[in-house]
Amino acid sequence: MNLRFILSMGWYYGFYSIIRGPSYVIASLSMPMTMLFLVYMLSRGSLISYAIIGGFISMMSTNALSSAGDAAFFRLELKVQDLFVVSSISSTDYMLGIMLSYLVFSIPGIAVYAALSYIYKVLTPLSALALIAVILIMLVSTSSISFILAGMLTHIRNVWGIVSILSIVLSIIPPIFYPYTYLPKYIVYVLALSPATPAAVIMQGLAGLQPLQPIMAVILVAETVAYFMLARKFIRWTEV
Amino acid sequence: MIELQRLTKVYRGGQLALNDVSAKLTKKVTAVIGRNGAGKTTLMRILSTQLLPTSGTATINGFDILRDKGKIRKFLVSVPQEGRPIGMLTPFEHLRIYLTARGMSFSDATEAARKALKELELWEFRDRPADMLSGGMKRKLFVAMAIAAGADYVFLDEPTTGLDPLSRIEVWAAIKELRADVLLTTHYMEEAVELSEEIVFMDGGKIIAQGELNSLLEGFKGMIRVESSSPVDGWMRVGNIYFTYASADEAEAYLKKGFSIKQITLEDLFIRHGVMEIEP
Ligand SMILES: Nc1ncnc2c1ncn2[C@@H]1O[C@H](COP(=O)(O)OP(=O)(O)OP(=O)(O)O)[C@@H](O)[C@H]1O
Ligand SMILES: [Mg+2]
Repeated sequence: MNLRFILSMGWYYGFYSIIRGPSYVIASLSMPMTMLFLVYMLSRGSLISYAIIGGFISMMSTNALSSAGDAAFFRLELKVQDLFVVSSISSTDYMLGIMLSYLVFSIPGIAVYAALSYIYKVLTPLSALALIAVILIMLVSTSSISFILAGMLTHIRNVWGIVSILSIVLSIIPPIFYPYTYLPKYIVYVLALSPATPAAVIMQGLAGLQPLQPIMAVILVAETVAYFMLARKFIRWTEV
Repeated sequence: MIELQRLTKVYRGGQLALNDVSAKLTKKVTAVIGRNGAGKTTLMRILSTQLLPTSGTATINGFDILRDKGKIRKFLVSVPQEGRPIGMLTPFEHLRIYLTARGMSFSDATEAARKALKELELWEFRDRPADMLSGGMKRKLFVAMAIAAGADYVFLDEPTTGLDPLSRIEVWAAIKELRADVLLTTHYMEEAVELSEEIVFMDGGKIIAQGELNSLLEGFKGMIRVESSSPVDGWMRVGNIYFTYASADEAEAYLKKGFSIKQITLEDLFIRHGVMEIEP
């Protein structure tokens, strides 16, 4: 593992993306914030805890998915991936570097939600720690889905369309902004294919909003490993 | 040394891009020339382990491109033909990220970046996001990354396309100063002649000719090219230029008749393979 590369990619690309392209930060917050607003209004404030935890998860999920755009652009258009293939880093380092940059890029959003959780007293110190862990794992699994997608594309044109469809399927439909118990059990399991689902179920449990579902932690970790392995296959590090 | 052993590449969709190519490249700087679609990029990408061949293999300094990918990737640098920098990042940031990927420490990366940026006259633009660089500067940035890496082998796919004459000279100077062995492709014949000790001429996925300039032009010894802008019976045509080859002794006579005379250059290699076989 080349930690120096991961750190410099994460820092330069993540940090300077915020500084030099702040509109993207706002754009990435706009959807979860809209949902937060809608949930707040429609439930007259009673579901605000769901909306804040959900917004946190949804923002992370949306950002991680949008890395598919970069991954595809780097491979198909800029040929930056080709440049990195011939170096001492592995595809794992490359993906971790881009993931870290998206984590850095998400800091403003994380700060906004951290402030909201504090104001509305949604989290205890312990559940806040759990949320950090859940979000980091989710970043890896959702970004892996992005890399799988980016590797399958042959034309850059398709990437944004697919990302917006996936954003809805993976970041809005799952029980992120509403109690997971509203759904039939088997649907929760189907939706668990999206890492946002186990993430939200775990957090709703830890925040004391709904019963705990320890199995979801197992599902989250297992699918993260699986998606990451698939991403290593699909990223086309060596092209056939 | 690079040794190609029956390399063949058929892309998905059936396009044959390399057709059973075997060769030995032993010189310090080798230039690959050939028409668009000849297979130059395909060859470069296969040799730099970015792309798998359909069959056959090759070795670089004894390391096999199929079995020893990891080792080759550490001592080789390859600049893609259409490589472009990341718009949001500056030249300095590109170099630092890339050089850490090559295994350098942060301080070595910064030092090597500084040196390469100065060498290619990019220092002044080091903190300008790549979006705001001109096309030629972006190209030079990729060359700077290749040079800064301090690799044993440097592959450059059309390194000077789109560069102004001065920038091209800077890139040439940088290439000449490299300790590394270099394999480059170019569409500029004077560049191939200026930089390389050996020229490889590709066409239709095959290496048609290989050698130093004089030996490649052996077949044209004592000849000149005669050109006319209006049709002449029995002459060859490229675009709306009509031409033939003649002995140098006849130069004067052709000039008197109002034709123009050209020295034989590498271009004539292209013409011979492209035109003479079709329209003799
Ligand atoms: N990814 C690909 N999929 C299918 N066919 C391809 C692909 N890349 C190249 N080809 C085809 O393979 C052949 C060789 O292409 P290549 O890019 O190696 O040529 P080249 O000599 O580098 O040309 P140029 O001077 O234009 O860069 C061409 O016929 C091209 O259309
Ligand atoms: Mg090419």
